[in-house]
Amino acid sequence: MKNVAYVYHPDYLLHAPPFEHPESPDRLNAINTHLEEVGLFNTLMPVTPDYPDNGDILRVHDPDYLRKLELACRRGDLTLDAEDTYLNKNSYLIALLSAAGAIAGADAVATGKADRAFCAVRPPGHHAARAKGMGFCLLNNAAIAVRSLQALHGVSRVMIIDWDVHHGNGTQSIFWEDPSVFFFSIHENPAFLYPGTGRRWETGNGAGEGTTLNAPMAPGAGDDEYRLVFEQLLAPAAERFRPEFLVLSAGFDPHCDDPLADMQLTDEGFRFLSEFVVALANQYCGGKIVSVLEGGYERESLARCTEIHIRELQKN
Amino acid sequence: MFVTRRMQRNVVTISPSASLQDARRLMREHTVRQLPVTGEDNKLVGVVSDRDIREAMLPVGLLFGSSEKEMENMLASTPVEKVMTRKVVTATVNDSLEDAITLLHDFRVNSLPVLDDKGGVAGIITRTDVLKAFIEALGVGEISSRLEVVVPDVPGALAGITAIIKTFHVNITSILTTGHTEPDKRAVFFRIATLNVGPIRKALEEAGYEILDPGDFLP
Repeated sequence: MKNVAYVYHPDYLLHAPPFEHPESPDRLNAINTHLEEVGLFNTLMPVTPDYPDNGDILRVHDPDYLRKLELACRRGDLTLDAEDTYLNKNSYLIALLSAAGAIAGADAVATGKADRAFCAVRPPGHHAARAKGMGFCLLNNAAIAVRSLQALHGVSRVMIIDWDVHHGNGTQSIFWEDPSVFFFSIHENPAFLYPGTGRRWETGNGAGEGTTLNAPMAPGAGDDEYRLVFEQLLAPAAERFRPEFLVLSAGFDPHCDDPLADMQLTDEGFRFLSEFVVALANQYCGGKIVSVLEGGYERESLARCTEIHIRELQKN
Repeated sequence: MFVTRRMQRNVVTISPSASLQDARRLMREHTVRQLPVTGEDNKLVGVVSDRDIREAMLPVGLLFGSSEKEMENMLASTPVEKVMTRKVVTATVNDSLEDAITLLHDFRVNSLPVLDDKGGVAGIITRTDVLKAFIEALGVGEISSRLEVVVPDVPGALAGITAIIKTFHVNITSILTTGHTEPDKRAVFFRIATLNVGPIRKALEEAGYEILDPGDFLP
């Protein structure tokens, strides 16, 4: 059995919406309660991240944006740029801590303290671009973890697999021209769902042409359709790219019970996706995976599928 | 919106006496598929397209034993006015973008030279320019969510929806309405700048609006 790190910090609950909102602290409470109930915690290696150095964040984000975010939180703004992403007084610090969680997971795996890691972090990250937060995301946790792997652990080629139901537009924009990071996203067709990007022909630019791959799915797609895309698009892409490390943007909102989108994945679907990426990691990366929580808003399916996902990460 | 807002103003033109070889070179250099042909005072006398040139080349190409050189000689010695289209569908600087779209569609042409009041070429508008205008108007590629609502075809129906959306403090980046399958109803398509459409959807449903599910459109 693989040694899987579970990265969590109780302060993640302090970023809380000022009004009723799907991305709220009880998402993590639901996961933790469930993992406790099924006795999974005893089998995991707990990791509690510390607040990160600014330098870790600046590898991805614009310093002016960080200042703006910090100020907005101090000022007590309820949303970022008066748009749809909420803030409270704690949000800036907790966003840093969320990014630190992804870094801690990457660090545990890169140094061999753990074989794989699941980072139960929030706020989520994959919509956050270099100089702009959006879509419930403030800092791009997965991207920050990738850059820390490259800067501190001598990893050169990383593949990000993003199965959140929304396109990871922030992550895509960050690595758009970067041939060292392969960004794969499978999501509901942007004609129907936020953020409205992630079309088939968005494949990167310049030196990064060909290291972005998008699989937009028609509303109603489920386990079979996802399986096809993983087998026929993702697997050949991984074979061509030969990553040294996999970073997952694991959103559980393509689940059929999730209210925010129109995908029909079942619990079994998430088991398959998890098993599939473990096989990819075993084939190319010595098994190394850092999985970072993104979306997932229906509490029960979120908690169940997180358990299923972690159990697959524990398999050899 | 007037056609002048969307037309290209730097038009590559050619004179009627220029050769097809010149025309082909200009098209390649500027990656365009047609050139307005202008005489004195920039007056439009015709249009020459890449297709006109191909059709001129065809008979030579079919000759037994014809060579590349013969082809080039033919292109160099044939003036544009010999193959150009003389009856050109045009727009004027006073036309609206809707006029241009209708002309492009009804006359099945790829582009319209846009003429000023004196008949000179002021610009050109192509199908690509029109598609770009549509992409922008639809809000495609802007960070947003789509919301589809069916409303009764009565005055003020839209106002009710936008009033509800307003209470959520989100921007509407595009609105489109079309006829619905039921004759006394219309479908309204919004693009709104938020990920969190659920509560808006719920509020609209509670107010009695019918929300279309993306799945409703699947074959």
